Amino acid sequence: MDKRVQTIYDRLQSREYRSLRSGKEYSFAQDYAAAGTDPALRAADRLMKMAQAERAVLFAEDRIGMMRTVKKVPPIFTDEEFAAIAAEHFIFDGAQVNNISSDYASALDGGMEKKRNRILELRAKEQEGSKKYVLYTAMLTSIDALYLIAEKYRAEAERMGNERLAEALSNVPENTPRGYYEALVMLRLLNYTLWLNANKHNTLGRFDVYMFPFYEKDIKSGALAREEALSLTQEFFIDLNFDADLYPGVQQGDNGQSMVLGGCDADGMPVYNDLSKLCLEASLELKIIDPKINLRVDKNTPEEVYLLGTELTKQGLGFPQYSNDDVVIPALVNWGYDLADARNYVVAACWEFIIPGLAMDIPNIDALNFPGIVRKVTERIKEFPDYGSFLAEVKKDILAECDRLTSMTKGLYLMPSPFQSVLMTNCIEEGKDISEGTKYNNYGFHGAGVSTAADSIAAVRKCVYEEKSVSAEQLLAALAADFEGYADVRNKLLAAPKMGQNDDYADGIAVQLLDWLADGLEGKHNDRGGIFRAGTGSAMYYIWCSSELGATADGRKAGAPFAANFSPSLDVPLEGVLSVIQSFTKPHLTRVCNGGPLTLEFHDTLFRNEEGTKKVAKLVELFVKKGGHQMQLNAVNREKMLDAKAHPEKYPNLIVRVWGWSGYFNELDTVYQDQIIKRLEFLQ
Amino acid sequence: MDELKGLIFSIEEFAVYDGPGIRTSVFFKGCPLRCNWCHNPEGLEMRAQIVRSPNGCLGCGRCDAIAKKHGGEYTQEAADACPRHLLRPSGVWYGADELCAKLLKNADLLRAGGGGVTFSGGECLMQADFLTEVAKKLHGKLHLAIQTSGYAPADKLRGLLPYLDLVMFDLKLLDAAQFRKYIGGDLSVVLRSFRIAAESGVELLPRTPLIPGVTDTPENLNAVAETIASAGLHKAELLAYNKMAGSKYKLIGKTYAPMFDESKAGVPDLTPFKERGIEVRIL
Repeated sequence: MDKRVQTIYDRLQSREYRSLRSGKEYSFAQDYAAAGTDPALRAADRLMKMAQAERAVLFAEDRIGMMRTVKKVPPIFTDEEFAAIAAEHFIFDGAQVNNISSDYASALDGGMEKKRNRILELRAKEQEGSKKYVLYTAMLTSIDALYLIAEKYRAEAERMGNERLAEALSNVPENTPRGYYEALVMLRLLNYTLWLNANKHNTLGRFDVYMFPFYEKDIKSGALAREEALSLTQEFFIDLNFDADLYPGVQQGDNGQSMVLGGCDADGMPVYNDLSKLCLEASLELKIIDPKINLRVDKNTPEEVYLLGTELTKQGLGFPQYSNDDVVIPALVNWGYDLADARNYVVAACWEFIIPGLAMDIPNIDALNFPGIVRKVTERIKEFPDYGSFLAEVKKDILAECDRLTSMTKGLYLMPSPFQSVLMTNCIEEGKDISEGTKYNNYGFHGAGVSTAADSIAAVRKCVYEEKSVSAEQLLAALAADFEGYADVRNKLLAAPKMGQNDDYADGIAVQLLDWLADGLEGKHNDRGGIFRAGTGSAMYYIWCSSELGATADGRKAGAPFAANFSPSLDVPLEGVLSVIQSFTKPHLTRVCNGGPLTLEFHDTLFRNEEGTKKVAKLVELFVKKGGHQMQLNAVNREKMLDAKAHPEKYPNLIVRVWGWSGYFNELDTVYQDQIIKRLEFLQ
Repeated sequence: MDELKGLIFSIEEFAVYDGPGIRTSVFFKGCPLRCNWCHNPEGLEMRAQIVRSPNGCLGCGRCDAIAKKHGGEYTQEAADACPRHLLRPSGVWYGADELCAKLLKNADLLRAGGGGVTFSGGECLMQADFLTEVAKKLHGKLHLAIQTSGYAPADKLRGLLPYLDLVMFDLKLLDAAQFRKYIGGDLSVVLRSFRIAAESGVELLPRTPLIPGVTDTPENLNAVAETIASAGLHKAELLAYNKMAGSKYKLIGKTYAPMFDESKAGVPDLTPFKERGIEVRIL
């Protein structure tokens, strides 16, 4: 990175800029409640007040900049009001519009004045005080708040003699950006304002699609050199991280600032371009958390894309995450998405597939606890004389659980979000706030712990029904005792086939379980006109669903976590990564395509030279060609090594590529483990 | 007649440094040589063993007490006694069909990944009859490579070569006296095998492990380069020494005792290769 970007990067790492934030807290809800203000107007007024409270802070080296000086965005409802709403509704994640993707293309094309003028036009047709009139007013106020922030930064840039930024902000966000630089400034403003508007999990969508016209024009005309574009892009990336500690999420970093690169256009033509490449290069050098990069790939994706992606994986950040267009697009079309929309998919905060501008999906509304269901059926094992009747009961319970989970989602309430609505494709024309839904209003369910469930069923089938090496009584007693005093029973259960070993015995059960989840949700509609989508993700449910669950028939102890995402159980002896890929591409993934990647972990010494990197890249390509839907790779980091050292039983399959050979981490002497750990110090 | 069986101590999928493309490596147990720097001591003896992972050991002594009864050898009984399951059998007998079926399960990925299967060890040629049987069955279905020291009877090697696509051949140490000292055995066997392999027309890739002060000396590298050039070959690989070579000795209850100074490992002078037009890379 160049000197200017380095200075900005150092500022981020030092965290000292945070001392510029004010300690002042704001509270508006009481006033709104007393005045009986309309919720949409509350949201708009709050944004305006936050814009007023914010102070523009720029540093000499900033070309884009922008940071928060007010830490907390206060609620629009009082606690009493919110409790009353919650009593009547289904509340998900604080009832805040979140985890969706804005239509940045439409904002950049024509600028915000185009939208503002259209809103004025439409409002003029409405009766004053009508719902639509009020919403349009709220939208206008929200845009004015955006303008206020822009003006504050323009004035500050001018005061500091930062002519380029001042000039950019005299054009955007009102008008179409005149080039790539102005487009970045505008996008940063929109991103900044969404956070200030209390929206959570603000994704960046298809950056290399909506920004490319600006980039291409500048590069072609010579207005912008590629190095300059890289420098500005890197600054933009760093800027996304400055306020990350203020963004709400389960953990810091869980903020949804995902970016999607590659994939195809509405006609199915590949879009991977020089800007996609530039973004990967920018991220590769920065090694910072945001934006989290997703690469859309398909069977025709060239090797160089995988190679660059693998270089990024090597940095140990856990991205890029790959999604396979050949599976995802048909899956979305099967679910009723228009083909052109499906081809435009992005990922939500983590991995769920959504459509920018057109979706108010809640793709992570809940999870089905597969191992929980299997455990309950296992507790009644004496009622089932054979494996067939045991399995039939599992199916019955999965379908019943789908009924229960879907019915729980009725009466969802979301708080209005007029600013977010302005950035959606249809909300202005329809005069409808995004919180009330838009073209796609689908809910997604994760299928948590499918590997643990499949392994449990496989062990019951093998040990109890087929080999009869464990009696039903013994199994029940062992589970009840959390295997204390039943080591022999547990060893037999552990030795049964497991998902991930490319053995149809266990893999076939996983295929069935996921099919039943899909069956249980298929054909059902939510009360917002959407459908329910089945998925292979886990989100935090691999902890939430497992911590209270007793021992399971796969040999898992009570409270032990399931695998995260769509992965083999933690303590399974694996044949290797090829078998894992075989196992996890067996399910009918187009039916369970809500999102949720196969996660593979490699020691980062595997990537130590070109040979290793090339082969990991090839492996990802093979997964895609084999029909996998989504994959995430980790170059294992030092913290994990230290944990593995203290708790080797948690990492039986951790492979260490040492040099021209590899071995299991657990089988290395402490001195060698320490050597690796030490070597990793400078990598981090 | 009893089915021919082979003793395998590990099958590693996605073996990155064992030949071209996406590969699975099959490690044959047993080796006629005793390289002083061997990093895979598990593969030395051609018999099933119980190996013990040193990490996570509670020091409860249960396995040792049982081992004592069997002359210090860890048995399955000792393995079963470990509360942490740190003892595992090393060495599983496979029938040729069984091993082929296992490898063919990933044939689609191996083929699409431009790779195949590498037979390594130990010394895979020590079980040449079984290996040839397996290679015959897989020939034409998967790209087949061996990683060998070349320490094998001529007829056994000749019998196998027609079924192979690549031979990765160790040219470790080309001075007969030094060979005997550090590796054990007769260098002429290796050189004879190298000639046979070179004349067979099967792709041949010489590899030299860089052992500080032993194989990485100018004299030895010069001899290696000369041998490669005389065979009409233009490519070679050097395997850099790593101090972790000894880490697996505890598994078999032994101590790594290098007769050279590990700290002297460095990047050697590649001039002998360059002078002879040999493209060389260090892995």
